[in-house]
Parts: sequence; C-alpha cells; structure tokens
Amino acid sequence: MYESTLINLSLFILLLPLLGFVVTLLLGKKVKSVFIFENLIIILTFFSSVYLLYSKLANFRTTKISSELEWFGFNNFITGTKLSINLGFMIDNITAIMLFVVALISMLVHLYSIEYMKGDERYNRYFAYLGIFTFSMNGIVLTNNILMMYIFWELVGLSSYLLIGFWFEKKTAADAGKKAFIVNRIGDIGMFAGILILFLTYQTFSFDKIFSSISSGVLPFNSDFWLTVTGILLFCGAIGKSAQFPLHVWLPDAMEGPTPVSALIHAATMVAAGVYLVVRIFGLLTADAMLFIGVIGMISAFIPATIALTQNDIKKVLAYSTVSQLGYMIMALGVGAYQFAFFHLVTHAFFKAALFLGSGSVIHAMHHEQDIRKMGGLRNKMPLTYWTFVISSLAISGIPLTSGFLSKDGIIASSMAFANLTGHYLFPIFSLVVALLTAFYMFRLIILTFHGEPRDIHKFEHAHESPFLMVMPLVLLAGLSIFIWYTPNPLNSEQGWILSKWIEKPTVFTPERSRFDFMKSSSDEENNIKQSYLDAEVYKEAMHSAHYPAMILSELMAILGILFAFIVYQWKKINADSIADKIKPLYNFSLNKWYFDEIYNKTFVAFTIGLSKVLAWFDAKIIDGMVNGSAFLTKHFSFFIGNFDKYVIDGIVNFTAYFNGFIGLLVRRIQTGKVQSYLALVIFSLVILLFIFK
Amino acid sequence: MNINNFLSDIDLIYPEIILVSTLIVILLYDLIFTKNKRLLPFFSLSGIFIATLFTILNFGKNEFAFGYGSNNYLLSIDDFSNFFKLIILISSFIIIHFSILSNEIKICIDRHGEYYTLLFGMMAGMFFLVSANDLIVIYVSIEILSLSSYVLAGFVKTSLRNSEASLKYVIYGGVSSGIMIFGMSLIYGMTGSTNLAEINSILKVTALSDITFLTSILMVLAGIGFKISIVPFHFWTPDVYEGAPIPITAYLSVASKAAGFAVLIRFIKIMFLSGITNNEYWVLFPIIDWRSLLVIFSIITMTLGNLSALWQDNLKRMLAYSSIAHAGYILLGLAVLSNQGLTAVLIYFIIYLFMNLGAFLVLMLIANEINSEDIDDYKGLGYSLPFLSAMLSIFLISLVGLPPTAGFIAKLYLFIALVDAKMIVVAVIALLNTVLSLYYYIRVLKNLYLSKPNERYIKIKNTSLSYPLVFILGTPVFVFGLYFTPITDLAKYSLKILGI
Repeated sequence: MYESTLINLSLFILLLPLLGFVVTLLLGKKVKSVFIFENLIIILTFFSSVYLLYSKLANFRTTKISSELEWFGFNNFITGTKLSINLGFMIDNITAIMLFVVALISMLVHLYSIEYMKGDERYNRYFAYLGIFTFSMNGIVLTNNILMMYIFWELVGLSSYLLIGFWFEKKTAADAGKKAFIVNRIGDIGMFAGILILFLTYQTFSFDKIFSSISSGVLPFNSDFWLTVTGILLFCGAIGKSAQFPLHVWLPDAMEGPTPVSALIHAATMVAAGVYLVVRIFGLLTADAMLFIGVIGMISAFIPATIALTQNDIKKVLAYSTVSQLGYMIMALGVGAYQFAFFHLVTHAFFKAALFLGSGSVIHAMHHEQDIRKMGGLRNKMPLTYWTFVISSLAISGIPLTSGFLSKDGIIASSMAFANLTGHYLFPIFSLVVALLTAFYMFRLIILTFHGEPRDIHKFEHAHESPFLMVMPLVLLAGLSIFIWYTPNPLNSEQGWILSKWIEKPTVFTPERSRFDFMKSSSDEENNIKQSYLDAEVYKEAMHSAHYPAMILSELMAILGILFAFIVYQWKKINADSIADKIKPLYNFSLNKWYFDEIYNKTFVAFTIGLSKVLAWFDAKIIDGMVNGSAFLTKHFSFFIGNFDKYVIDGIVNFTAYFNGFIGLLVRRIQTGKVQSYLALVIFSLVILLFIFK
Repeated sequence: MNINNFLSDIDLIYPEIILVSTLIVILLYDLIFTKNKRLLPFFSLSGIFIATLFTILNFGKNEFAFGYGSNNYLLSIDDFSNFFKLIILISSFIIIHFSILSNEIKICIDRHGEYYTLLFGMMAGMFFLVSANDLIVIYVSIEILSLSSYVLAGFVKTSLRNSEASLKYVIYGGVSSGIMIFGMSLIYGMTGSTNLAEINSILKVTALSDITFLTSILMVLAGIGFKISIVPFHFWTPDVYEGAPIPITAYLSVASKAAGFAVLIRFIKIMFLSGITNNEYWVLFPIIDWRSLLVIFSIITMTLGNLSALWQDNLKRMLAYSSIAHAGYILLGLAVLSNQGLTAVLIYFIIYLFMNLGAFLVLMLIANEINSEDIDDYKGLGYSLPFLSAMLSIFLISLVGLPPTAGFIAKLYLFIALVDAKMIVVAVIALLNTVLSLYYYIRVLKNLYLSKPNERYIKIKNTSLSYPLVFILGTPVFVFGLYFTPITDLAKYSLKILGI
C-alpha cells in the first residue's frame, strides 16, 4: 500500500459519481433503466470509500497524505517569480471518515429512492442529480485548498438547487430551490471575500501553506483583527450552507424537495459541508472568531428548537431539529470541542438520515400526507419504521447507549469546561435547554405519528410497511446509531477508538496573543514537542471536572423532555391546547417561526426589490441610453467603414464593373481588373508605409 | 557553395524526407493504380504519422543543418521550428479527414492523387519555411508552398468560384513574391549575404539605416504579409477563402498562416536582434521603429478584419475576415518584442488551430447538407442539428475569446503580455476589437437558436467519421479552457530560436 494508491483511489471515488451523472443525464431519456447504472456506480463508490477508510486507518493512521498538481501558473517575466494555482487532495482521517459517511448515506438514499421515486416522470434525471450532488460533496471533502473547496461548494449549491426544486411544477418547490440558492449566495459572498483576503496575503490557496505562514507570523494586513475578520468571513459560508442563524430560513423551505433528498442534504452532504469547512479552517480561528462562531451556533441551536415544538409538518420538525443540531456542532467548534463537533457530525449524519428516511417511509405509506395531526397509531402498521425511528430519536435526544449520547454529551461537557475556563456560562445553559427541547419535540413527533388512535381513518387503512429497499437503509442507519460502533464503554466516548485514535487532535496556528488562555501552548514544555491544547493539563482537568455534572444534567434534561412529551401527548394529563392558549403570543411566535420570513420579506427583500427597481430605472434610462447611443455610433461608423470598403475601395477597383452595373455577380467576380487594382493598392500602401517610417 | 557535413545533417531533416517520400509514393500509386483511389488518405495519414514521430524526436536537439562557408547554415532545426511543424502536422492530419468528408472534394475522385500530392507539397514547403535560416531558402519554400496552394484553391475545376479564386491567388501571389525577391536581392546587394545570422553580424558593425534598406525590409515584409494576410496585403484573402474548397480554406487559414508567422518571427528576430534588456525585452537594430510598425500593422489588421466581418452574410467569408482579425491579434503578440509575447503567440496558435478548424469543419458539414454557407440559412438549425449547432457555438464563442473556452486563455496570455509591456492603449484597442467581434459571431448563434426555423427540416447523415472528428476538435477547446498548463508549458519549451 503506497500513498499514491490512496490518492488514486480518492480520485476514483471523486470521479465515479461524476461519470454516473454524465451517463445518466445523457442517456436518461432514451434508456429507461439507466438508473441502475447510477446505483451500481454509487455502490462501487461506497465500497471504494470503505476500502479507503480501512487502508488509511490501518496503514497511514498518523500521516497526512496530500498530492498536488499545478492547474495553471503565471510567470512574471519581469521579476522571475511564478504564481501557481494548484489543485490537490489531502487525505487525513477526517477526510476518510467523511468520505465514508457521504458515500454510505448517498448509497442508502440512492437505493431508497428506487422505491420512493418510482413512477416519477423524471426518474432518471433525479438519479443523475443525486450523482452530481455526491460528486460535489466528495470534492469538498477531498480538497487540500480553499479554492477547490469554493468551486465544489458552489457545485453543491447548484445541485441542491436542482434537487430541492426537482418538482418544479409546484410553485412552492421552485421557490424553495430559488430561496436556498439565493440565501446560500449571501453566505458565499462572505466566504469569497475571506478567500480573497487569504490569497492576497499568502498567494496560495492551500490550507497547509496558509497555516504554516500564519504560524510563522504572517497575518492579513499584519493584524490579529484582520485574521479574526478573515475567519468570520470564511465562516459566513458555513452560516449559509449549514443553515445557521440568521441564514437558516432556507432549510425548512427546502423540505419541498423529495424526502430522500432531504435526508441527503440534511444528513451527509450540504449542511455538513459548513461544519466541515469550519473543521478545516479551525487552525486559523482566533479567540474572537471562535467566540463569534460559538454564539452563532448557540443561537442556531436554540431558536429552531423552540420553533420545532409547535410545527405540525413531520418534515418541518425534522428540518428545525437539523438546524438545531448543526448549531450544536458549530457551537462545539466555537468552544474548542473540535473532536466532538466532528464526531457529532458523523453520528448525526446516521441518525438524522434514519429519521428523514423514516419520515419518508411514513409519508409514502400515508400517500404524501405530511401533517402529523392527521397521523397516529402507525406503530403496529409499520413496526420497522417505528422502531428505527425510536432508536434514532433516542440518539438525537442523547439517551445513553446511543451514538448521540456520546457526541452530544461530549459537546455539553466541553461547553461546560469552556465556561469554567473562560466564564462564558451561557453556552452550557443554552445547550442544556436545547437538550430538553430536543427530547420533547422528538417524542412529541413520535407520539403524534405512531402512538394513539389514527386520526385519519381513511389514510390509516391504506398505510402499510414500506418495501425492502426502503426499510433496509432505516435498519442499517438505526443500527449505526448504537454506541458499539464508536466506543466499548457506552458512558465514556473518550475511551473509544474514534476519538482517541481516529479523529486527529487540532493544531492551532494563530498567534499566542489572540488565543484563549487555555489554548496557549504551555511554556514549560520539556521535550519541545508541540501538543494539542486538548492534551494540556488545564483543559484535561476542566473536562474531567465537567464530565459527570454535564452527563447527569443532560440526562436529566433529556428524560424530563421525554417524560413531558409523554405526559402531554400520550397520557394527556395536560391539555396541549390549553397551554398553547395560555401562552398564546409565545405559541404563535414559535408556530410562525419567530416571524423570520416575514421580517426578512419586509426588510431585506423589500429593500432589495426597491433598490433593484431604482437600478432598473437607472439601467433602462441612463445606461441603456448610453449603450444605445454608442451602439448607434459604432453601428453607423462600422457601416461607414464597411461601405467605404465595399463602395470606395471595391468601387475604385471595380469601377468598370459598377459602371456596367447590370452585369451579374458572377461576371464581376471573374474580372481580373480587380486583382490588378488590389495589387496597385499593395504597392500604394507600401509607399505610404515607406513615407511613415522613413 | 559547398555544403559541409551534408550526410550527417540528413539525420536532422527526417520529417521533411518522410513528407517528400510520401509525396512520391502517392504520386506513383496514383499513376499505377488508376482505379482505386480510396487508399490515398491512408497513405497520407501514415506519412503524417511517421513525420510526427520524427518531429517529436527532434525536440530538444536544437542544431543547425547544412552549413556552408565559414559559419552559415541553411536550416535551423530548433524547438521553435519543431513547434510549428507540429502545428502544421496536426492541422494536416485534420485537413485530410476534412477532405474525406467534403462533398466538394469527393466529386473529383479521379484527381485525388493530385490532391494529396499537392497537400504534401504544401507541407514540405511549410516545413522548410519554418526552419529556414537563409533568404534563398525562405523564398524557395514560400514558392513551393504557394504553387501547391494555388492549384489546390482551384481544385474543383467545374466550380467557377474555385477557378476564380485560384486565378486571383496566382496573380496576387506572383506579384507578392516578386516584390519579396526584389527586397531580398536589395538586402543581398547591400550586405553581401543571404544568411539571416550573417546579415545580423554585418548589421552589428555597419549601420545600414538608409531608405534603400528600409524599402527592402518593407518589401520582404509585404511578401510574408501576403502569406499571413495582414492588412494591407490581405486583399486576396476573402475572395480566395470564399472561393476555395472548404478544406483548403481551413488549411490556408491555419497551417500556412502558422508557417508565415514562423518565418516572420525568425526573420525579425534573427536578422535584427542586437541585444536583450534586463527585463527580457528584445532590442532590435533601429532601422525602423519596429514596435510601432508591428502595432500599426496589427491594429489595422484586426480592426479592418472585424469591421468587414460585421457585414458578411456568408459564414465562410465571415470566417475569412475573422481569420484576418486573428492574424492581427497574433501579430500583436510579436509586437511586444519579448519572449513573453512570443509565448503568447505560440499559445494562441495551438488554440487557434483547434477552434478555427473546428468552426470550418462544422461549416463544411452543414454546407454538405444544406448546400449553403449563408448565415440566414442557419435559422433554427439549433433544433434540427443540436449537436453540430452546439459545437459550432462553442467554437465561435472560443473565437470571440469568452471563458470557459480555450479562446479566452489565448487572449488572456496575449493581454497579459501587452499589459506587462505597458502597451495599455494597444491592449484596450485589442479588447474593443474583441467586443466588436462578439457581434458577428453571436449573430450566428442567434440565427441558430433564436430565429424561427426554416420550413424544411434538415437531418444530417451520420457519417461514421464526422461526429467523432467534431468532438476531437471540440474537446481541446473546452479542456484547454480549464486546464491549460500543458499548452503553456509546451509554448515556453518551444521558445528556443537558434541563430543569435
């Protein structure tokens, strides 16, 4: 096993879905069964990524493999320097794990969609889009430089637009696709500006080179402040893609896409890209930038959790829970819990995919009914869907023995440790509240959907368990939400291989003065070995003392939440409606999603439309006036030149021909007199040139 | 004149020898097997293939061949000439496929032997031309090239416009080469040498800046300018391009233009280079204001080419004017008078080869079907011929120079060279010209896609060769637009010109 083998393998993994996309798209209309090809491709991608993960962890666990090739370069002939723009791959453990997760979820979504999308008129095109989505996500994961990341980032944006608006005949779906695209673009502008600052400062896009320049003291515009700004600007991209506050509004609307697409977007691909970006740029985040990221993450964890409490659409609840969980991850990165953030990304990918695919199974069974007020009692009709849904819900609520417990508990503990170290106590408080809310709304969803009496008898009677291809992914994903895959000790994830061995500990490159105190490298290092702040005594102690309180508190919260859900919705001890009536304003506030859409419509959208009207007027009257004026001039000038050529030059030449006039075109053409005149002109112009340059 | 080391220098001209032998083989075959002409293209292709191999082997050798006297050489086999030989070979390879597909050529099946013989005659002429290091060699190879192309331009005897084109070409070309040889004899009279490098060393010691020398240089430039059709030596171009069979038009617009440029660059650089400044710019003997001369030529050429193209209704004639305009852009790269500008020229040629031949190929395939080159007849073709129309659009967009096609890269390097040389005004004029050219290229696209289709529905017979060939030409236009390091590397590698 050589490093180059891994690089070639990863190239293979990257390009396979692209091949699938091209073939499926081109042949889609003619060959009805071409979707099978796309599915085989994705299965092959999955097995390649398993092999890549295996060989990376078995042979190169501690090495970082990267490979670069020059895309293009510009020689500066005067100074003799060269500016090269490179393309490249970097494979560390995080890359390999992420590739595996993407390929797995994508494969399951592909297989699931074979049944779910059956009968759709653009069946093959759907699979083609899934292919390009996987391709773009793999690109983000594999790259070693931020330019390529940006390119694939935009490709993800494009493919999400195609998939969310897949049923574009429906106006809401088309609008949702547009909204996702535009809102993402707002974040991308920030990211683009950040990339420009980096390139201006370091003349390279490569992460490694940027990091090493930072650690050798080269900063954008020579100031810590601008490094902070750069970090925040780059993070703006993540705000858009990972649907963080205040750009989270596109994600719930994106539920208009087919449900398997939601699973793909929300579990493994698009929204994960934002978190992955922050993971990649973690080394250049200053304390201020981290705090900003943490606060954004905290807000994004809290607000959607409160909104999810009152939503009645099964997919909307899950959508808001996605935003909330992503908020957790982002907050974790903000408080320095790098490993837990990535760990939560992985575990969340599995259980959230299970939840979405499960909801798809329910929707499929209920003939595209998504309102949970019309469901109920499906437990016995769809046992497999139900149980996988329960396991995944337990995982997302963070109940022990599940994967969600391991990662979420870690995040809460880290936020507590962070609070102890720096005094920012809001982080643990909010994360505990969100844990409570999460458990409550998830079990509210389960109870309303699966328990109790059916509320729509007609649809209930037609409901049935989904076919094998749809249930198999559910079982597999629910299985992956059990602790055993990650650690032998269900209560302590730190002992597990994934945290202690697989996920690399982060290195921080920012100047010492702009780090949090606990992240400063200890000055009394004896062996002069750079250690990660995660291994520093201070941090370890803080984590240790936070571990048990955090676990107990978060369990308490989760159980309280579940219990409350049962009290209200299962046993009906408290009437949900009467509570809602009592706190009517708050209820409406949550039901209407904190009025974000309305506020944005009244302010930004209205402002933009107004501005564009003004610009349109300016464009139509003034710019077009100028353009038309110059076009008019150019046209007539060139008409003049053309005519000059045609009539004056050719006219002199063909004087006889024109004089005779009525002789046809052909006769005129074979007139040798023309050539003579041409030649006369050549001699004439030679003489003129001689006079000019004499 | 005694040639030193004649036999050992033979090794260096294997590609030329292969081409001439293929010519003889084709001629003999044609004489012996008078009935079966179908094998001729295969002979030609294999000849080209072997010549390509030898050309590639010659890369990096950089030697003079056929020395006479003390230190004078007739040919210089350097990377610069090898680069242009490669361009000529690739375009010949494609042109032979063109000829197989062309209806015009197909009609004259009994004269195919003649056709391919003459093609190889042109190739041999161009090969000697691009490595010529002596005025006599330049003149003789231009004549070899021209005589073959005169006949080829009028190859379809039954077509009046073919014969007309040929006749015009012959007269015009005859006078041009007359002017050129006059100029050359004046140079010889003043310096006593026909060797470019020797003239250079003579110029170093004696200042020859009088009007006679200037006249002689301009006369030689007129001869070369006729080959690369720069204004005011371009008058033949539209008529001949429009009249000649399409494969020959395409060939003239790429290969013979490339050979002309090669000899122009060599003529200027080897004869007049007196030194190189610190920042890599060439210093030429101040006989004439070289940069102004070249800039004036190129700006007039591109502007006139573009403005005339605006009013053309015949796509072939439009492409003729557009190729005049492109000669203007390329000349601008030379006007920078530095290796950077030269790199831009070489890059431009690689890309121009694919995009221009591609546009001509699609034009020919469509003309084969609808028997018209009129832009108005292209209305709505985007729907009846989706693939060809899409490819034509790509080629035209590349000719404009819009990303992500390769044409953009060609113009990008050119403009970078101009800006680095602080020729901002010239760059702006060239840029405006590009904008101007957008109009007439896009007009074709508009007819293809936005205009109402004509009544008749056109369906192209899918010959096995045509689609792959279009695809082969289209792929580089796309790929080099996105990943152009190979061609820039090749261009930088090929800058080596022997002689000074």
